[in-house]
Amino acid sequence: MNSQRIEAARQSYINEKPSICVERSRIWTQSHKKTQGQAVELRRAQAFLDTCRELPVNIYEGELIVGSSGNYRKTGILTPEFSWTWVDREMDSFEKRPQDPYTISEENRNYLRKEIFPYWQGQSLEEAFLSQVPEDTAQLLIDTGILDNDSKWRQAIGEITPDYEDVLFPQGYLGIKKRAQDNLNTLEAHKLEDLEKINFYKGQILISDGIMTLAQRYSDKARELADLEEDPKRKEELENISYICSRVPANPPESFQEALQFVWFVQLSAILSENPLAMNLGRFDQYVYPYYKKDIEAGLIDRDKALELVQALWIKLSEWVWTISSNTANYFAGYNQFQNLTVGGRTRSGKDGTNELSFICLEATKLTKTHQPGLSVRIHPDSPEEFMMAVSELVSTGNGFPAIHSDQAGAQMLMQRGYNPVDARDWSNCGCVVPHFRKTGQWTSAVNVNFGSALEFSLNAGKTRLEGKKLGVTDKALEDFESFEEIKEAFLLELANLIKHSVIGSLLAQKLHTEMVPRPFISSAVDGCMDKGQDLSKGGAKYNLGPVLTGIGLGVVANGLAAVKELVFDKELTSLEELSRALEADWQGYDELRELALAVPKYGNDKDYVDDLAIEISDFFYEETNKYTDIFGSNFNTAFMGISNYVPTGKVVGALPCGRRAMAPLTEGVSPFVGSDVTSPTAAMRSAAKINHDVHTGGTLLNLRLNQELLETNRGKRNLSSLVRAFFSLGAFHVQFNTISSETLRKAQKNPENYRDLLVRVAGYSTQFVNLSKEMQEAIIARTQHQNF
Amino acid sequence: MKKTMGRIFNIQHFSVHDGQGIRSTIFLAGCPLRCRWCANPESWNFDNSYVREVSLEEVVEEIKRNIIFYRHSGGGITYSGGEPTYQKDFLKAMVDYFYKLGLDQAIETSGYFNFEELKETIEKLDFIFTDLKHMDPVKHKELTGKSNGLILDNLKKIGKLNIPIVIRIPLIEDINDHEDNLIKTAEFIKSHVPRAQIELLAYHQLGNYKYDKLGLSQYKYVFKTPSEKRMMESKGLLENLGVETVKFK
Repeated sequence: MNSQRIEAARQSYINEKPSICVERSRIWTQSHKKTQGQAVELRRAQAFLDTCRELPVNIYEGELIVGSSGNYRKTGILTPEFSWTWVDREMDSFEKRPQDPYTISEENRNYLRKEIFPYWQGQSLEEAFLSQVPEDTAQLLIDTGILDNDSKWRQAIGEITPDYEDVLFPQGYLGIKKRAQDNLNTLEAHKLEDLEKINFYKGQILISDGIMTLAQRYSDKARELADLEEDPKRKEELENISYICSRVPANPPESFQEALQFVWFVQLSAILSENPLAMNLGRFDQYVYPYYKKDIEAGLIDRDKALELVQALWIKLSEWVWTISSNTANYFAGYNQFQNLTVGGRTRSGKDGTNELSFICLEATKLTKTHQPGLSVRIHPDSPEEFMMAVSELVSTGNGFPAIHSDQAGAQMLMQRGYNPVDARDWSNCGCVVPHFRKTGQWTSAVNVNFGSALEFSLNAGKTRLEGKKLGVTDKALEDFESFEEIKEAFLLELANLIKHSVIGSLLAQKLHTEMVPRPFISSAVDGCMDKGQDLSKGGAKYNLGPVLTGIGLGVVANGLAAVKELVFDKELTSLEELSRALEADWQGYDELRELALAVPKYGNDKDYVDDLAIEISDFFYEETNKYTDIFGSNFNTAFMGISNYVPTGKVVGALPCGRRAMAPLTEGVSPFVGSDVTSPTAAMRSAAKINHDVHTGGTLLNLRLNQELLETNRGKRNLSSLVRAFFSLGAFHVQFNTISSETLRKAQKNPENYRDLLVRVAGYSTQFVNLSKEMQEAIIARTQHQNF
Repeated sequence: MKKTMGRIFNIQHFSVHDGQGIRSTIFLAGCPLRCRWCANPESWNFDNSYVREVSLEEVVEEIKRNIIFYRHSGGGITYSGGEPTYQKDFLKAMVDYFYKLGLDQAIETSGYFNFEELKETIEKLDFIFTDLKHMDPVKHKELTGKSNGLILDNLKKIGKLNIPIVIRIPLIEDINDHEDNLIKTAEFIKSHVPRAQIELLAYHQLGNYKYDKLGLSQYKYVFKTPSEKRMMESKGLLENLGVETVKFK
């Protein structure tokens, strides 16, 4: 049961539409006007400090964890230094757009156009990127759906996990400020190598002052409200909040509530500093547990109180809104901020680390039903059975949580990238399903690569099917190919070309980030930057990993190639000419041929005929991508993860030989094509597990839908946990389940007002079903639902 | 050497209602009975589009792919049908093969088979589900085409083996749910198969569409599904008579 205050906050979270607040952009812009000519990292640090000094301070009714990014309970902020042109273009239709609409007042729109945008004209990251990106790369990369990296030049990067264990909790920001000051004192302005470091440490002092100022203002505000408060209980709460905010994050936390408030101030500051995607909370149950244990043992809180505080944090994490363009919203649908939080798994010493707080986190998500944090669990052979049952219990509620990961596969992926085994064992999730270690700088979702386009180019003389644009490298018409091997080679060449252009787009974006948008606040939370005196964007982290290219459509291109192989070459049921005509006609008038195409074995049914192709393609993707290095000399990485990218990428791809019609969604992660995994979940899992997960260090994702009834009994829950354990013993990395019935989803479409809290798994994350566009809803409903389990 | 061949109409993986854990159920075609409520009429004989001929090797290859799921869940294989003993040589070949792999094996049988011919095979199984549709031999013949003499006889013999057994009653309103029949059933089980548990399964009509599809419409009977209340009462009655009940759904 939710406490009254949590239920009230939950209702407002469900029912309120997010609003755009212009305060952050106003202060940020005014600050920049004052600091013209200074070093960019100091300008950004100063703008952060000014924001912390001037941003409105709001404490809402009944709140236990405080701090808000603007004037609304559900606030989205703007970061014009990254990009403002899309806001200018789109904000008049913010309210009406199908995916992730926002409210913005006319007054604010006028203000932005008059006071904010003119300042940033020609100064934003987006404009720099667009003016420098080579033309041949641009025609594949810019708003095409073929390659996509707009979140790397229209947005900040995010994609870090603050190091509470070794950096933030032990030092507090007073400690960080002192270290920066001490380091600064050892540097000499006449030494060239010290110049950059001097700016870095000065920036660290400014941002430390910033976050501590913000907290102190909340302390003052809480005191002010306490003085006015008549209810003695609330008065005491506010006094306590005032005390807590006067202590953290300046000092190391001493209580459970201080630890949670510390975490939220860091989160909030990161939001204000860059509006980040995937600002993760890491191994929350590990670094917060000592405070929980201490307070419980001292009798300061009981389990219910701890649960309520965790729920209060969950609501905070869900209330702020990642403001994004409509294009980006198609890829990251559902107001999702990708703040991943990981519980369970082994400790650094290799023992099981599951504790009471791990269970509380599962329970908080079950009760609060917020879409944030993205709750992930790590499972290993010695995970307690009670934890497995609690995981199954949460799965059975049908909200798509938690994302279930193999502890060992995650560690294996990190070791593959050169982490020492102890750090590798200490991994947590980033964003969607990226195994990640907190002392790392990496672009974990750098470019989306549309495999469907690569297949289309190879089958259509290098042209897009829908627009006839020559964007690929193939010159030969399909009917001129003589063997299946030759067609497969052509596809791999197209894929290699897309990879090359992805690298070109990433290198340029990386370079511009170091020059234009260094990250002084974020750098304070990542180990290594303070030692090196170097910003995260410039390689300051202890580990720097190459950007991740995400392959989209693995399943559908394996199906497509298998169909060509069987229909044309192995069984000779059709010719390349006829197939080519059928694809051009989007199967219109070729119903019989389409039936034959649909009958060819499909990925996801444990059929080696097609699964072998998926293995070959995914291995090639890794080998080809891994050849390239980024601006720090780190190899690029691969992933097959989700997000909602399989819908927009599908829209630009014409009919494919497997029977898929033009513009239909592709496939997500290593999941089968929707509705084509008809055998059993065990077969779908076996197909997915054939992929060599360990090399795809950016993560792999499998989404399955199960009938909810199957999880109603303890036998059912136990079988689910066995299913997961078996899947992981095959070497796979991740699985997540949707267990809502189709009937329920149809009802939710009809009467959305009754189903506002209905969470569904999109891909790699969960969000409110009613917040998805009609099209996304249909894609969710179309997923095969395994009835037999 | 000639390949061992058999006829099946499905292998359903991830089956969880026919025994412990995650299982694969092998549905063998062919059945000596013609129960009027049968939900799998495609299993009656070999000549319809559902039934395919497979070799032992093919079945082994398919089953082996799922062993990892059995091992993690305590599951295994369940032979079902049709009547799985109807193809006794094929059943024997499969049971022998998987016995050597140490797989958990269960069977769902009507109890209508020659016990002596299959004794060695039955003894290699880990779990037996068998039906007891009606205690009255005349009614039994009317409803299934065969009297229940052989079935009751086999039940006694199975009762002497050291294998866990669940006796299933497909409960159909006004057909076999009368108190009189349930009492006789309980008495029989108590005296001859005392270790057995009973599972009551409510009759359903989900298989009815198949009759029309198979051109067997003239054999389609529609019965009444017992209410939840009736199911509970029957369960209570059996338990009061000292028989243990169980539920695998």
